[in-house]
Amino acid sequence: MPWRRPRKHVDRARDIGRSEEEALEEKAEHAEEDEAVELAAIDGASIVEAATGEAEDERMPSDLAAKLGAAAEGHEFRAWGEEAEDREVADREVADREVADREVAGRDRVVGTARPEDTSPSEAVVAHVEDGVDLEVEVARGLRLRNPVLTASGTFGQGVEYAELIDVSRLGAMVNKGTTVHARPGNPQYRIAETPSGILNSIGLENPGAAAVAKKYGKEWPGLRLPVIVNVAGYTVADYVGVVLEMEGTPGVVAYELNVSCPNVKGGTLFGCDPELAAEVTRAVKAETDKPVIVKLTPSAPDVVAVARACEEAGADGLTAINTVPGMRIDVAKRRPVLGTGTGGLSGPAIRPIAVHITYQVARAVSIPIIGAGGVTCAKDALEFLMAGASAVQVGSATFADPLAPIKTVEGLAEYVRASGLASIRDIVGAAQRGGKRDAGTEYVQ
Amino acid sequence: MILETGRVVASETVADLGTLIVVSAPLVAARAHPGQFVHVRPGERFDPLLRRPYSFNGIDRHAGEIELLVKPLGPGGEWIAQRHPGDPLDLLGPLGTSFVVHRATTHLLLVAGGTGIAPMKVLAEQESARRNVTLVMGGRTIHHLWPAHRLPAAVEYVTTTEDGSFGVRGRVTDALPQYIAWADQLCACGPWPMLAAIGRLRHDAARATTVVPGKEVLLDAQIAVEQHMGCAMGVCRACVIVTQHGNARVCREGPVFSLGDVRFAQGEPATVGLTA
Ligand SMILES: Cc1cc2nc3c(=O)[nH]c(=O)nc-3n(C[C@H](O)[C@H](O)[C@H](O)COP(=O)(O)OP(=O)(O)OC[C@H]3O[C@@H](n4cnc5c(N)ncnc54)[C@H](O)[C@@H]3O)c2cc1C
Ligand SMILES: Cc1cc2nc3c(=O)[nH]c(=O)nc-3n(C[C@H](O)[C@H](O)[C@H](O)COP(=O)(O)O)c2cc1C
Ligand code: FES
Repeated sequence: MPWRRPRKHVDRARDIGRSEEEALEEKAEHAEEDEAVELAAIDGASIVEAATGEAEDERMPSDLAAKLGAAAEGHEFRAWGEEAEDREVADREVADREVADREVAGRDRVVGTARPEDTSPSEAVVAHVEDGVDLEVEVARGLRLRNPVLTASGTFGQGVEYAELIDVSRLGAMVNKGTTVHARPGNPQYRIAETPSGILNSIGLENPGAAAVAKKYGKEWPGLRLPVIVNVAGYTVADYVGVVLEMEGTPGVVAYELNVSCPNVKGGTLFGCDPELAAEVTRAVKAETDKPVIVKLTPSAPDVVAVARACEEAGADGLTAINTVPGMRIDVAKRRPVLGTGTGGLSGPAIRPIAVHITYQVARAVSIPIIGAGGVTCAKDALEFLMAGASAVQVGSATFADPLAPIKTVEGLAEYVRASGLASIRDIVGAAQRGGKRDAGTEYVQ
Repeated sequence: MILETGRVVASETVADLGTLIVVSAPLVAARAHPGQFVHVRPGERFDPLLRRPYSFNGIDRHAGEIELLVKPLGPGGEWIAQRHPGDPLDLLGPLGTSFVVHRATTHLLLVAGGTGIAPMKVLAEQESARRNVTLVMGGRTIHHLWPAHRLPAAVEYVTTTEDGSFGVRGRVTDALPQYIAWADQLCACGPWPMLAAIGRLRHDAARATTVVPGKEVLLDAQIAVEQHMGCAMGVCRACVIVTQHGNARVCREGPVFSLGDVRFAQGEPATVGLTA
């Protein structure tokens, strides 16, 4: 027999849906109400919760199929615990408002990023550090953004998720999760592993396919007040074109970013490793859309500058530097790679010097704007990229650690412009190119 | 969910189970439900980079406090477990789904393994005043069991140890059948092999041609699972598991799932079929 401590006898109220305390408190209800209101005001609980110490509602049993369906429809479910079982709809609306109010209060107090629309009418205009500072940049030919901070593909979903937590309308733009023509289930577990100052990922481009993305998120993107750049992935030239054709006309979309870190089915080389292939994809996509087309460079390319030049010649309006760096971790106890696919893509501060270096080299070779990416966690990191020649940056992995990292980067850049007496952030772009030796970036001695 | 900088109020070691830390975090506490978790930042810099997910081991709305049971496995867990009273702790939560106890349940069976005790302890505390609650816990040794005096007296507590250092040698699942027959509802949290074993009981019950006591309880069981996470905000899809309805994110559609929805393979989560 296992060890067993018997239940101590308790007299329970006959209504088992109610606790003893609840029954008792019901009697003293009126006496306690005032106190409860005070308590609720203090700790943010609802009145019922404050009085009973219990969640206000009974909770809904799980219905995964419905939840997944809703997620697929673009509606993110709240916790089941927040769904009422049989409360009146009106009650629920009041409660929801209460929660929303509390969340705003919480955001003000704890996060310090209240959204303009969430505040009471009397203080509708919320002042931000970046107000009145010229942070506007051209991140690709024909694409001007209010500031140079974007969120990186695969680290910001479809924008709607982090919008629950931060004021995404303060960012320059977002790049959505890599989108393919057909839905992809993604790679086997594990899909993520931590490394020194970085992460390795092998998600496998899990996404519902371009048509589904356009249908679901086209409805939500305009409401974010955040320009959307669609990250396009594929295995043939036709795949890339297919995604773009599917996404054309989707509300909120302002440009395309071609993820050329994908193996070409013919031969298996990454599109982004071969100048010819990269140019071919660029040309094919440019022929189908009037929107700016940005090509995202891969550090795996033997000659990334040659790829950048080829893309510019093929009509690319901008470049992103860089995608993740191939890497691997071994589980020593199990004597096998940690990631399900073995290899993964390294990101985070660990790759920042590689990314800054590539940005610097490419900036010398092309005249189209560059968006730097790789390990940006704050304004100082962003400035490294800008000074190397990038017009903007993407914040990726850092958001997982600190969801406020992209907004803090905007604030920090604004403070920098103010403190250094610049007319605009644009004045700093390429500063290190001018300051460095002519051959800096191409030669080094160990 | 919300970002809140909590403050550590107390910290103590609970045998070999881990470190128990009480954190004052009124905003998170006000929204928390058993089974949900917080994503905790293990430091102030970006190394270690990823936050670490921990279930609520206690929720005290009145005091505005939450309790976490942290088993330090690596650098993140170690940093968090070493926080002292007064230290700030960066929390993102509450996240994910929670256990749902049906209104009609009178006999609630909770099954825990290892740090999977966390949500079971919260359920025991919240439900034992109004239902009969039995908690069955298994551990490697007596030092891997939750101390009985830290549970409400109204809870019946049953334990097994793998080395026989307390009670009789065995696993939780060996002790389960009689309690399943008694219960109206089952909630479980623990390592994947334990959950998979309960999944096998369900599978066998579902297919049995004879009457199986407690069949309905197994069919309706809820479990909380673990998976390595990145964002815990639903964006990166690092945390997916395979379910009867397709891929599901443990951080959003989970961590609490219907037992029958989760697919297992050799005591582990079934893996996505496709490789890149
Ligand atoms: C929803 C949920 C609830 C959890 N609740 C608890 C709890 O209450 N108490 C507790 O002690 N542990 C809990 N865990 C497991 C806990 O998250 C891991 O033990 C922890 O992340 C390990 O971090 P580390 O730095 O100690 O170990 P490391 O081995 O250094 O971790 C390296 C990386 O792997 C990840 N990782 C390793 N093991 C796990 C695991 N089992 N689950 C998820 N990620 C893992 C880490 O998050 C990190 O990214 C929970 C996990 C999930 C998903
Ligand atoms: C979990 C994860 C998923 C990613 N998915 C994509 C993707 O779908 N398409 C893409 O072009 N880049 C993807 N990336 C790469 C990032 O967009 C970015 O280029 C890279 O992470 C470097 O920036 P960082 O160090 O700031 O994260 C992904 C990165 C991570 C960490
Ligand atoms: S951890 Fe990123 S989607 Fe769940």
